Amino acid sequence: MSDRGADEGPVIGVRPPSVQVEGFEGPLDLLLELVEERKVDILTVRLGELAGEYLERVRALGSLPADEAAAFLWLASRLVLLKARSLLPSLEPIAPEDDEVTEEELRARLVEYAAVKQRAVALGDRLRSGERAFHREGGTVELPPKGGDMDALAAAWSRVLQVAARQRHEEAEVPAERYSVEQRTAEIEEIVLREGRVAFATLLGPEPSLSFAVVTFISLLDLYRRLVIDLEQDELYGEIRIVRKEPTPGA
Amino acid sequence: MRSELANRVEAVLFVAEKPVGRTELARVVGATPRQVETALGEIEAAYGGTGLRLQHDGDEWQIVTSTESAPYVSAYLGADRLRVSSASLETLSVIAYRQPITRAEVEAIRGVNCDQTIYTLMSRRLIEERGRKETAGRPILYGTTWEFLECFGLQSLTELPRVLTPEGLTREGEVTSETEAARD
Repeated sequence: MSDRGADEGPVIGVRPPSVQVEGFEGPLDLLLELVEERKVDILTVRLGELAGEYLERVRALGSLPADEAAAFLWLASRLVLLKARSLLPSLEPIAPEDDEVTEEELRARLVEYAAVKQRAVALGDRLRSGERAFHREGGTVELPPKGGDMDALAAAWSRVLQVAARQRHEEAEVPAERYSVEQRTAEIEEIVLREGRVAFATLLGPEPSLSFAVVTFISLLDLYRRLVIDLEQDELYGEIRIVRKEPTPGA
Repeated sequence: MRSELANRVEAVLFVAEKPVGRTELARVVGATPRQVETALGEIEAAYGGTGLRLQHDGDEWQIVTSTESAPYVSAYLGADRLRVSSASLETLSVIAYRQPITRAEVEAIRGVNCDQTIYTLMSRRLIEERGRKETAGRPILYGTTWEFLECFGLQSLTELPRVLTPEGLTREGEVTSETEAARD
């Protein structure tokens, strides 16, 4: 049964957003409960005999959503059919319908479901007992970045100094340009969609002003958040590439 | 007396904040995977009666705390106890014992729609996607996570609670070492 998966005809209750219905997890759960209430052996009970009781209980469930009701009624109809066949053995030669479930199949399913329930209870017990494990977290030693040698540090510092000097220059002579994040985001999105990938350095240009760099950076964060782009960097201090995010297959 | 190799493996696992594969352990400590397996056995034995244990999922290993010390570690971490509904537990038990398994297969066993419970279990990181089944529609396969083992205090999947099924048999063969090996 388990390998037939979705092809399995009317899988009981495939549609409904089933939460618990009146204390039952579903049709199989109700049937299992009937078996247990009667204190009969799940392996030998004639499931057809439970048809009447099952129907009564389903009726008592009151108004179910249509989909839910269908799932319960599907099982009910199987039970009634099993009962009919056992009462009228002459029906046996009639060719079974395509989606007909034999008593053995239904029993196997019930047996398996009973095992699932027991395991769920056993798992729940473990959970409630609070006997769990923990792993070490956040204890990792922060290693200094690789390649962070003195020359690289000195070079980075001199770049900062240059930028700082340029800032003062701009402030003094050029009225500050205004960049809006919305506008810049749209620009970058268009570039990325067109090119597929673009380097961070290219987006910044040769001599970005501080506000341009900040706006560009915020735009990238926003695009990343919106899952429009991915960011790649092969190595520390390496080129950062902005890559168009491929839609996740199947998502 | 523990071997020097066991000490090396233990030291690496001590600093690791995520599970480490046996092959990687072998590479970093300069031994064969089989030797590492022996070393892991030594460590496991040595942890008996201490506050630590070795946990493994397939071939990934990590040092975790013992279930006995859980209340105190929880108190230190301020960890809340995980609550899972009975419906989610049913879905989880089907997935745990039958992994990797598709949603349709879980639904066929439970007899109800399992969208919601699978979503809940995913968001709690108790289950994860395990690739796709090579059948029509290539449905997603689900399996349990490392967090699942931790939350239920299982050192490995072979420790899943064995319950007496209605057939009167213990179903311990379902998650076998073969199943585990196939996931690596």
